[in-house]
Amino acid sequence: MHLKAQTVFSYSLLLLYAYFCYLMLLITLQYIPLDTDVAFLRIKQDEVALFYYPWAFFIHAYCSILVLPAGFTQFSPSLRKQLPQVHKWAGWLYLTVVLLLAGPTGIIIGIHANGGWSSQLGFCMLGLFWIYFSVMAWFKIKKGEVQQHRYFMYRSFALALSAITLRAWKYIIVAIWHPRPMDTYRLVAWLGWIGNLIIVEIIIIYLKRKQT
Amino acid sequence: MKKWLLLLAVLLIQACGNSSENMDSTDSQEANPEEIETTITTPEIEEEEPQADAENRQEEAYFGYYVGFFEGVDMNFDKDPVPFNKITISIDSLSSEMLYGHSVVAGNERPFSGPMVVAGDSITVVASEPGDDRYDGVFSFTIRPAEELLIGTWKANNQRLAVSSRQYKLEKKTFAYDPALELSEEVGWSNLYEKYPKYPDKSESLTEDVSKFNASSYELKKEDVENMYQGDLEVMRNAIYARHGYSFKNRKMRFIFDHEVEWYMPVSTDIREQLTALEKKNIDLLKRYEQHAERYYDEFGR
Repeated sequence: MHLKAQTVFSYSLLLLYAYFCYLMLLITLQYIPLDTDVAFLRIKQDEVALFYYPWAFFIHAYCSILVLPAGFTQFSPSLRKQLPQVHKWAGWLYLTVVLLLAGPTGIIIGIHANGGWSSQLGFCMLGLFWIYFSVMAWFKIKKGEVQQHRYFMYRSFALALSAITLRAWKYIIVAIWHPRPMDTYRLVAWLGWIGNLIIVEIIIIYLKRKQT
Repeated sequence: MKKWLLLLAVLLIQACGNSSENMDSTDSQEANPEEIETTITTPEIEEEEPQADAENRQEEAYFGYYVGFFEGVDMNFDKDPVPFNKITISIDSLSSEMLYGHSVVAGNERPFSGPMVVAGDSITVVASEPGDDRYDGVFSFTIRPAEELLIGTWKANNQRLAVSSRQYKLEKKTFAYDPALELSEEVGWSNLYEKYPKYPDKSESLTEDVSKFNASSYELKKEDVENMYQGDLEVMRNAIYARHGYSFKNRKMRFIFDHEVEWYMPVSTDIREQLTALEKKNIDLLKRYEQHAERYYDEFGR
């Protein structure tokens, strides 16, 4: 009976995750076909004029979505055991996207973020931590430290999920308090990933305790 | 006139100063005719001007814009009527017995014409709109140039309209585009409504931001507007149109400008040609942030 409740919980979590991935896909699709005067870019015209910004933006918008399925499959124990090759390939995909595409472009966009220095710092730190955790996870598995690899991947993926949590926070905060748009943005630039990081550290502490 | 009095006084003082009794009388006699002549000639100039000119001047006293509230009398409350709209009635020309003009209200500009009756210096008119618009009707009003008032009623041709008759007492007012006109702080304390009477649950409140910048005279930067609510941005943008005398079809904007902006008068339904380069630039920026707020402010996404 207990197990059944857990299954229901994990399946509903899976469903929720799928739903948010779908929403993220819709956000990505706004930028197809390629146009520098749509959606978010409507209020980024000064930045669009910079030669590198549209490149960074579109690489970020098109590639980032890949980390959601690529990262998520890695948590399945059965997949890791039965199809280790898939785990490895998905890992490479995830790393390529984070380290070469979505991560660096995220930092470039972050430097030009709306809302001034505080949100710019927030987004840039998010990008740096994301790359750092991903690189560490890679090093750890190369050295065969599976447990450390797992912890760093948890952290990296928690930051990948900030794409979802940042938007979810914004939705909730606006629904309750109706703050001004840029105040909201400055807040979620930090809240969107700090919260995830705290939760993942709690999970890691919990897992470490369980092991010993 | 004052100069003449002064001159007279000087002459009198001089006359007194001369202290000769004989001189005194001649001096005053010389001075007086001059004085009398001028006082007589001034009115004579007006009276002696050709009659046609005087009539023209009297006609011109009727011409111009009359502004005030077009107030609902017979209303069908099932059809969501708007009891108060700001209207401008323009008297454009007079021929022997006909008066021609047009009205601008709620984004609708309509010509009218009709026979007039002169009574004293007032004229009374029954003027019809062409009749090919759903909202056409018949105006009956009196213009009192001495009081600069236009008072009357209006009856819709179609009695099944939400408002089938209205009344008004309009004051004469000149229109001139003035980029320096500002929204008062009170606008920031009011709400935007889609419907009238004011349903409190369907309102959107404005803030003090709405009167922070004048988008007709100041070049907005993105930092100025990026933290503003959609409603404030929308009213700030529409204030540009209001300065040009734009008549709002959009009820939300009409309610705000009709009731909360003292200087506002509707005189045109298309002001696109009148916008300045600065205004166009600000409109583009404001629209971007409005659309962004509309689409993303309370949504998951971007």
